[in-house]
Amino acid sequence: MRDFHQRIDAAFAGTGLDRDILEELAQHCESTYETLRADGVSEGAAGARIDTLIAGWRANPNELDRVVKRAPVVTPPADTSRSIAAGAVADLVYALRLMRAQPGSALVTILTIALGVAAVTTLFSVANGVLLSPLPWGDTERLVRITETRGGRQGRIPGTMLNGSYNAWEEAPQLIESIGAYWGQPVTLTGAGEPARIETTPLTPSMLAMLKVDPIRGRLFEPGEGKQGDRVAILSYGFWEQRFGLRDDIVGQPIVFDGVQYTIVGVMPRQFRFPNADARAWTARQMPPVDMPNGAKAGTIMRAIARLKPGVTPEQANAEGTARARAGADAGPIAMSLFGARDPIQISVQDARTKLTEEVRPAILILLTASALLFATAIANVANMQLARATARQRELTIRAALGAGTGRLARQLLIENAVIGAIGAIGGLLATMAFNRALPAVLPADFPRADAIAIDGRVLLVTLLLSVMAAVACGVLPLLYARKLQIARALSETALASAGAGRTRTATVRALIVASQVAVTCVLVIGAALLGRSFVAYLNADRGYDPQNLLTAAIPFPQSYAPPERSSTALHRILDRVKTRPGVTHAAISTSLPLVSAGGFLSFTFPSSLRGGSEVDVETIRRIVSPEYFAALGIRLRAGRPLTAADQLTTARVAIVNRSFVRKYFEDVPVERAIGLSLGTGVFRNLGEKERIETTIVGVVDDVKQDAPDGALQPELFLSYAQVRNTYASQAFVVLRTADDPAAHVETLRTALHEEDPTLALDAVMTMDERVGRSAARPRTYATLLGGFAVFALLIAGAGLFGVLSYSVTQRSRELAVRTALGASRSAVVTVALKQVGVALVAGLAIGLALAAGLSKNLSPFLFGVSSTDWLSFMVAPLMLIAIAIVACIVPARRVARTDPVQVLRQV
Amino acid sequence: MLERELKRGSAELLILALLEERERHGYDIGKQIDERSDGTIVFHITSLYPTLYRLEAKGMIEGRWVEKAGQRRRRYYRLTPGGRGVLVRQRSIWQNFAKAINRVAGIKHA
Repeated sequence: MRDFHQRIDAAFAGTGLDRDILEELAQHCESTYETLRADGVSEGAAGARIDTLIAGWRANPNELDRVVKRAPVVTPPADTSRSIAAGAVADLVYALRLMRAQPGSALVTILTIALGVAAVTTLFSVANGVLLSPLPWGDTERLVRITETRGGRQGRIPGTMLNGSYNAWEEAPQLIESIGAYWGQPVTLTGAGEPARIETTPLTPSMLAMLKVDPIRGRLFEPGEGKQGDRVAILSYGFWEQRFGLRDDIVGQPIVFDGVQYTIVGVMPRQFRFPNADARAWTARQMPPVDMPNGAKAGTIMRAIARLKPGVTPEQANAEGTARARAGADAGPIAMSLFGARDPIQISVQDARTKLTEEVRPAILILLTASALLFATAIANVANMQLARATARQRELTIRAALGAGTGRLARQLLIENAVIGAIGAIGGLLATMAFNRALPAVLPADFPRADAIAIDGRVLLVTLLLSVMAAVACGVLPLLYARKLQIARALSETALASAGAGRTRTATVRALIVASQVAVTCVLVIGAALLGRSFVAYLNADRGYDPQNLLTAAIPFPQSYAPPERSSTALHRILDRVKTRPGVTHAAISTSLPLVSAGGFLSFTFPSSLRGGSEVDVETIRRIVSPEYFAALGIRLRAGRPLTAADQLTTARVAIVNRSFVRKYFEDVPVERAIGLSLGTGVFRNLGEKERIETTIVGVVDDVKQDAPDGALQPELFLSYAQVRNTYASQAFVVLRTADDPAAHVETLRTALHEEDPTLALDAVMTMDERVGRSAARPRTYATLLGGFAVFALLIAGAGLFGVLSYSVTQRSRELAVRTALGASRSAVVTVALKQVGVALVAGLAIGLALAAGLSKNLSPFLFGVSSTDWLSFMVAPLMLIAIAIVACIVPARRVARTDPVQVLRQV
Repeated sequence: MLERELKRGSAELLILALLEERERHGYDIGKQIDERSDGTIVFHITSLYPTLYRLEAKGMIEGRWVEKAGQRRRRYYRLTPGGRGVLVRQRSIWQNFAKAINRVAGIKHA
C-alpha cells in the first residue's frame, strides 16, 4: 500500500493547513486509489488520477482552511540537553517572541506594572526626600526646633518662641551646644536695574555656625554682628550667580535691601538651603532684649533652632528651656497679645526634621499607603492576566508536558516570561517616576516643605527594584502553580488534553477572588478620592465672608525712607485716587492686612462696658486699619450701622467698625443693632500712640470674615480708618481693587499709579483673590488630585480585571453556554448565567470595600472640610462607578456569548 | 455567475441530503454523489472538501473522528439541527424552482 500521507504533506508544506485536514485528504486518496485498483485500473493510471486530485486541491489551498481562529503560533524553544544558561537565553528569546506575537496583551501588562511601580516609587521618593533624607546641613541629628507655648497655646505664628525666652536660654545654656533664630522677610532690592522683591532670612549670628556649613567665599557672621549701623549679609550661590555673575571680589561689596545698605561678607555653597530654597540672602540680626533701654518692652516671635549636646534627650532640654524661660525677663502684655494667654511658659523641643515636615507627614503616609494598595491591585491584575494567558496556552503547555517537559522546565519558562515583563514594566515605571518627579514642583503646593529634597536616589532605585521583583514573582507564581498542575495531567497522559481543563473551576475561583479584592481596594480608593474631592470643592466654595471674585490684591512695601507715617499714608492715598478713576475699577481700598495675605495687627485694651454696668472688659482683638471703601471692595457684608466714610477724619469723632465675633465676645452677643453707638473707651487710641484721651464709638458691625482657611477659628476684629490713625507706618500696605472685568488686566494700572508716585516703589505679591484662594487650597487640591488619579487608575484596573475574568469564564464555559443555547435557552438567559459569576465577585468586593472604607475613612478626617468622613454620597459613588464599569466590562464578552454559534463552539471543544 | 451559484447550492443540497440518511465520511459522500446521479451531475471532487469545511464552519454539519473496529480512523460528518433546517428550506426552494422550470417548459411545448 502506498503512503499518501507523505505526498499530501509534501504537497501542502507551508500552507499552514490543519493536520486533521491533511489526514482526511490522505485518507481520501487512499480510498480512491484502492477503489480504482479494485476496479482494475492499472497502478500507474491510478497513481496519475491521485496526482490530478492532489493538484486540484493544491490549486486552492485556502478553500481547504477550516477557518479555526487560533492564537499566533510561536514555536517554543527546543530543549533540553543544553546548559541551563543557554536554556534560559532560549526562554528569554521565546518570551520576547511571544510578546511580539501578542503585543496588545503584553503592552497592557507592562503599562499596568509601570504605572503601579511609578505610583509607589513617586510617592516613596516624596516620603524619602521629605521625611527620611537628612536635612541639608552638617551633623543634623542633634538639631531641634524650639516651640514656646503658654497654657498650651502657640504664638500667633505657630512653632515660634519669644525673644525673652530665647535670650534667657542663650545666656545660660547647659544642655544645648548653641541656639539660633531666624525670621522670614521679603525685602526690596534696589541698586542696579528694576527694584526687585526677594526673600531674605534675617538670623542671629549663631545660626549659620550651628548648621555647620562652611561658606565658599568670605566668612560666616560673627557674634555681635547685626547691630544697628553694622549691617552684614551673606548671599546664596544662586543670588551671587544671578545678580553678581559670580564675581570674585564679592566679599566687601555693598548691597541695598529696603533702602538700607549691607556689606556682603560671604557666599554659601550651591546646595545650601536655609530655611528653604526661597531664601536668596541672609542678614545678621541681634535678638532684641525684652526690656529696651528706653524702658519700653519689646516682643518678637521667631523660629529658633538649638543643637543639643550629645546624649541629651528632648525631655531634658524641655525642662532646661522651660526653667530658663520662666526665669527670664517678663514680656508682660506683649506675651498676652502674642499668645492670647498668661499661663507660665512651656518650652518644647522637637527633632528639626520631624517638626519641619509634621504638617505633611500624615498626608504623605496616607498617599503612600494608597499607592501601595494601587500597586497591589495592579499586580493582582497582572497575575490574573498571566494566569489567563497560561490557561489559554494550556494546549501548548500540556503537549509539552506530555512530550516530557518537566515541571521545572515549564516553570522556568513561565518565570522568565514574567520576569521579562516585570523588568520591562519596572523600567517603564522608573521612567514614569522620573517624569513624575520632574512634574512634581508644579504639582506640589508652593509651601510644601522640603520639596527640593525630593529626588531619585539609591533608596528610591532600590524600592523600584524591589517592586519590579515583586511584580515579576507575583505574576509568575499563579501560572507556576498552574504548571504544577500540568504534571498531574501528564500522569494521565492518554487523556491529557481533556484533564487539563479539570482545574478550571478552581482557577476561576482564584481569579474571582482576585477580582473581588481588586474591587474592594478600588472601592476604598474611590471613596477616599470622592471624600477629598468633595471636601476640596466645599473648601473652594465655602462662604468666606467676602467675595473673592474680580478682586486684584497686591502689597506695597515701603522702604525706611517712608518711616514718617504721614509720608506713606499720603502716598497711599494719592495712589488710590489715581487708580480709582481708571475705567473698570469699581472700588479701590488700602489696608494694613488682607485675608489670605496678612494676619493684621493685634490690639489689647480695656474699656468700661455699658452693658456690664461700667465694669472693665479686657479686649484682645485683631485690628485692621483700612480706607473707607475696604468693605465695599472686598464685599464684606455690613450687618448694622454704617461703613467708614471719607467724612471720618482726625477732626471728627473717632469711629470703629467691629465684626460679629467682637460683639459676641465683648458685648454679650447682643443683637448687632444694639452695638451701634456703644463706646470702646479711650484705650484704642491710647494704644495707637495718641497722647490725649480720645473716645472711640462703634458705628457699624460687619459679618465675620474667614481670614485664612474657611475652617479657621473666628476672631474678634476691629476696623479703624486710615484717616483717623496718626501712626500707621508699617513696612508695607495692601491694596485691593474690585473690578468690573478681569482683575488680572488691571495689574498695569496699579503698577503705573505706583511708579507715578515714586519709581523706587515696587509692587509685591500681585495676585487676584481667586488665585490666592486657589493657592490656599493647593494642599487639598494636590491630595485630592493624587488620590483621584489613583482611584481612576484603580477603576481602570478593576474594569480590566472584571473584563478579563468574564471573558475567561465565557471562553471556559462556552460549551455549557452553547448547550444551553442549543437547547433553546434565550440569549439573555445565557448572558445572565455568564454575569452571575462576576456579580458574586463584584458584590463581595463592594461589601468588603465599603466596610474597609468605613474603617479607614476616619484617617482622612483631618483633611476634610465641610464633608463628614462618613459622607453617604461619597460612599454611594464608589459602588455605582464600579457597577457601571462592571457593566461596560461585561458588554463585550456577553455579546460574544450571545452571538456565538453554539454548533461551532460544540464542535471546537 | 448563476451557474456557479446553482452548482454551489446544489452541491450543498446534495451533501446535506446525503447526510440526512446517516453520517458519512468524505470519500463516501463523493462516491455516493457520483453513483446516484449516474454521472449526470458533474461534481468536482476537488471542491468536495472545501464545501464540507464551509458547511462545517456555518454549523450545518459537524465532523468528528471515529474509530470503528477493524477500520481505520475516519472523519465522519453528520447533519446538525441547524443543517437539517437548511436542508428543509433548500429542498422546498429547489422543488419550487423545478416546478417553475417545468411549468415554463410545458407552456412552451404546448
